[in-house]
Formats: sequence, structure tokens, C-alpha cells
Amino acid sequence: MEKKNRSREKILIVDDSEMNRSILADMLEEDYEILEAADGQQGVAMLQKLGAEISLVLLDIVMPVMDGFEVLAVMNKNQWIKDIPVIMISAESAPDAIQRAYEQGVSDYISRPFDFWVVQRRVVNTIMLYAKQKKLIGMVTDQMYEKERDANLMVTILSHIVEFRNGESGLHVVHIQTITELLLESLQRKTDRYPLSHEEINMIVMASALHDIGKIAIPSEILNKPGRFTDEEYEIMKTHSSVGASMLRDLSLYQQEPLVKVAYEICRWHHERYDGRGYPDGLKGEEIPIGAQVVAMADVYDALTSERVYKKAFSHEKALQMILNGECGTFNPLLKECLLDVSGQLQEKLEESFSNVKSEREMRNFAEEIRHHEELGASNRTLRLLEYERMKYQFFSSLSQEIQFEYTVSPAILTVSEWGAKRLGISEITVNPWENEGIRESWEKEEIQRLRETVLQTTPEEPVFRCFCHTKIDGKVCRRQIVGRVIWSEGEKPYYTGLIGKVIEVLEEPENTVNQKNGPCSEVEIERSREE
Amino acid sequence: MTVKECYEQIQGDYEGVFARFRGDERIKKFAVKFLADGSFESLCNTLNAGEYEEAFRAAHTLKGVCQNLGFTGLFQVSDKITEELRNHPGSYTLSMLEEVREEYQKTFTAVQALKEEM
Repeated sequence: MEKKNRSREKILIVDDSEMNRSILADMLEEDYEILEAADGQQGVAMLQKLGAEISLVLLDIVMPVMDGFEVLAVMNKNQWIKDIPVIMISAESAPDAIQRAYEQGVSDYISRPFDFWVVQRRVVNTIMLYAKQKKLIGMVTDQMYEKERDANLMVTILSHIVEFRNGESGLHVVHIQTITELLLESLQRKTDRYPLSHEEINMIVMASALHDIGKIAIPSEILNKPGRFTDEEYEIMKTHSSVGASMLRDLSLYQQEPLVKVAYEICRWHHERYDGRGYPDGLKGEEIPIGAQVVAMADVYDALTSERVYKKAFSHEKALQMILNGECGTFNPLLKECLLDVSGQLQEKLEESFSNVKSEREMRNFAEEIRHHEELGASNRTLRLLEYERMKYQFFSSLSQEIQFEYTVSPAILTVSEWGAKRLGISEITVNPWENEGIRESWEKEEIQRLRETVLQTTPEEPVFRCFCHTKIDGKVCRRQIVGRVIWSEGEKPYYTGLIGKVIEVLEEPENTVNQKNGPCSEVEIERSREE
Repeated sequence: MTVKECYEQIQGDYEGVFARFRGDERIKKFAVKFLADGSFESLCNTLNAGEYEEAFRAAHTLKGVCQNLGFTGLFQVSDKITEELRNHPGSYTLSMLEEVREEYQKTFTAVQALKEEM
């Protein structure tokens, strides 16, 4: 077999007894790379550092500093337990301990004394099971990805046929999709009157590309006429919405398909007006499905800002003003608010190139699909990306010779770049740093307090901070500047989840700053990077 | 002295450990590591200092090691002190440790002899 060629999978053994670790290592080292941790805290630090590179954890329960259950709690909190299987190995024979371990998500429980062969078999089985599961997840997500890509491609081809005949650039459909998506997302943030899931939003965005398919039935002399329409021509032109709808209605086999239903509504009613004076049915207010309302607005905006055979392009501001003033139809007041809210983003997004917009949206849809299938967890693809990013980060930080750090609030772990750790005289990974003696020696209490205050003054909008502090570098107290970025959680009420940053030299000051340590640690200096 | 004779001296569970470790070689390899294991020493120190929680962990580790190696005699006494320290740390008496010390020394001597023949 090709066993020897592939890089060996890593097993982390967390046990306070060196003897127990070495017995387990002896059983497994032939086939696996063994990592050892002498207590829970070291174990968590390794998990933090290596993540899903670790294929399996063998975990003891009773350990100093941090016991096995605490390790499981951290693994659950960070959702590591979903990707990294844990086998508990313990002399703990109490049935409630075994039950608790299973409840906290361990895959297996092996009691001491353990049998050589049983441990080997269970380890192999667990790793294989997880590997199979990951492979299956990868296959399913790949298929979903392919499916969505193909569907998008078909819709794009179809809508291009219409546009091609129309003599339009091909960007109209892309623009409609982008504007529709922005408006719908803004609407979801604003109100719960139109509750739409991510899938439904994706569906409307996809269907919006089909809004003008009825134009295929309009004679090209009318469609591409440079001057004003006669009344008769205008009546013919107006039929495109109902014609498009009937084309979809004729797909008798697919009437139950959500995409067809949504596309039907959009085709038929994207020229209705909120005041009831639109066509073809004169629907009024909320009688018009929300998808059609949004596409109608997107259509008007894009028509205004694009050049056509019969008109020049209006500026973004002018178009916005015309829509808001009701010069181009009447719209749902809530949608007008949404348009105003996204107006800044709108211009930016529309300026992005065609391919960018397209592939980005595809990827986002894909990511959302994943997020909405909880059982899929993190796919192989995302895991690979993550591992790649981690590797890249570690490589660059090792080259940079900078004191870089990362802090997570829960669990409280401070990670410092290899070189930085050496210079500060602390370990690369410190769990509960505020209780750590090495760290307390490097920083004065007031300095930490000041740093904390600075951090707390940041906001999700302005997450970057700078402050000066005194810290021990190569055993000597020096004045340094800390530049960092606070990480805030997503969601309505963001909270502070950690920070990243680096310690840099203060150039304009002489090196000899040791004396300053005696005086009270002076100024709090916060300069928001924005102000520079 | 064979591994079997060594286990007989200390009333160890030779059959059990042989079945689990699949062979004398591996038993020997780990049995001698017992000589360097610090959990008994740690148990004595922590008990002296009155640190019962630490003592519990040391006893627990010692018990686990003995269980793995099939050192039945030492396992039984270390199991007893582990449970005492877990449930009633206040009622610890010196005689409990002495009981463990006696078994520990017996086991240590036998394993030492095994090692010297290697």
C-alpha cells in the first residue's frame, strides 16, 4: 500500500503520567505521529495550534491544572469536537464519569487497564470513521457546488440570449442580481415583515435574471427602436411581462419548482406599481410579491444609470433622487429606505467586474448552503483552506521577526509568534495569561489594565488601537508600542472575542528607557489609526 | 528471573498483563519504566504538605499505572487511598500511606531485580 508515502496522521495523547503516555505511544507510533501533552492546558494549547491537523485525541480524565472534562468543555465551545474525535482513556471507573464523557461528545471510552490490541483497533476505527465521514461530506459539498454552478450557468445563458437580442451589454442581468441581493439583505435587517431564508433570497436573486425573458417574443424592430414608442408599439412592448410569465406557466411539469414559481411572479409583476397603476394586472401594494417589488426597483435603477439607444446614463445620485422622488414609479416606502441604506455599497458593488461579482456570489451561496446544513459541519474544502491559511500565517510570522500576538477571550489563550515568545521570555501559547507568572513579570499590573481600557474603547467600526507600554524584552524593560485590532463577533450585539496585533519599537525614542520603570507608567495614548 | 516469576513475587496479574501487552518483551519494557515513575514520590510529598487535592491526583496516577502493568497488590492499596482522598480527604491517616509504601517497596525491589537481569 501507499501507506508509507502519505504523511502520517497525528494523534495527541493528553495524560499526566509519562508512563501511560509512553505505553500508548508505543502502541501507536508505528502507524501514527504521536504528540504528547502532560496536562489539559498543554493539550488545549496544542489543539489551538494544530487544529484539525490532529486526527485523534486520547484523553485522560484526572490531571493537574486542567482535567479531561475541562478539555472537553473547551473543545465543545470551540466546536473542535466536531472535527477531532476524542477517545477517553481513564482509570476512572465511576459510571457517571463514563456517561458524562459520552455526553460531552467523546467517540469512545476505554477503561484502564487497556488491552494493547483493543486500543489499536479502536483508534484505527475511529480515525477511519471520521475520515470516511469527511470524505462523504466533501463529496456532497462538491456535488452541491457543481449543481449550483450549473444552475447559475444555465440561467445566465438563458438571460444572455434575451439581452443579446436586446442589444444590451450583458451586464444588466448581473446588475439586477446584485441590486436585488443588496436590497433583500437590507430589507431583512430592517424588518421582519417579509421573512425570507437565505435559500429564498438566493432563489429570488437567481430568478431575477429571468425577469425579461418575455422580450424574446417582442419583434426586434420594436425592441431596438431608437426613438419613442408609438402607443401601439408601447402596448406590444408591455406584453413582455405577461408573455414571460406564460412561458414559465407552460412548463407544466415544473409548476411545483420553487424557482419556477418565483420566476413567474417576477416576470409577470416586475412592472406593477405600488400605487396600483402598473401592468399587466394593476396589483396594488402588498398584492405584489416582495420579489417582484424588489426586482422592479432594481430594474428601474439600472435602466436609469445605463446608457440606452434612446437615452444617456444618469449618475448614481440623480437616479437615486429620481426614484426617491417618485419620478419613475411608486415603490414600497420600506424599499425606498433600503435603497437609501445600501446606496453607498451599491455603486461600489456594481463597479466590480462581471467575473468578480459572479464568482463571489457563487462562492457565497455555496458557503451559505454549507452553513444551512448543520450536519455537514465544516467541509473538507473549508478545512483545507483553513489549514492552508494557518500554514501561511505561521510561515510569514516566523520570517517577519516581529512580536506578533493573538488573544482569544474564551478560552483565554494568548498565542505569541515563535520569535516574539523568545524575546518576551514567555511561552508561545499561554492559557489564562492573566494568571500566568511569566506574563505578570513581563508586564506591570497597571500596564495590563491600561491595555485593557484601550481595547475596551474600540468599537466594531473602529477596531484598531495603538498604545504605548513598558514590557520586558530580552530581559530588559523597554518602551514599546502595541498596535492591534480587536475582533468583534458578528450579529446585532457584537461582543469582543479577542484581538490580534504586534509589539513594535518606538523609533523616535532612545533605547535607554529603563529608568522610566520607576516612575508611574505615564500616558495613555490612543491614536485611532483612522486619524493618522 | 522471568517476567512471570517477578509478577509471582508481587502477586501481580501476569496472565492479564500478558494478554493485554501480547508478550514478555513489552511487559518488561514498561515494567522497568515503573522504577522512574514519580507518582509515589509525589504522593508522599503532597501528603506531607497537606495538599490533599494534589495527593489525590498523584494516587490516582499511581493507581492507573499499576492497573496497566498488572501490579495488583500496589494497585489495590493505591486504589484504596485514592478513594479515601477523593471522598474524605480530612480523614487521611499516616497508616494509609504506610500501607502503600510497603507495597511500593516490594514492587520496586522485584522490578529492580527484573531490570538487572536484562
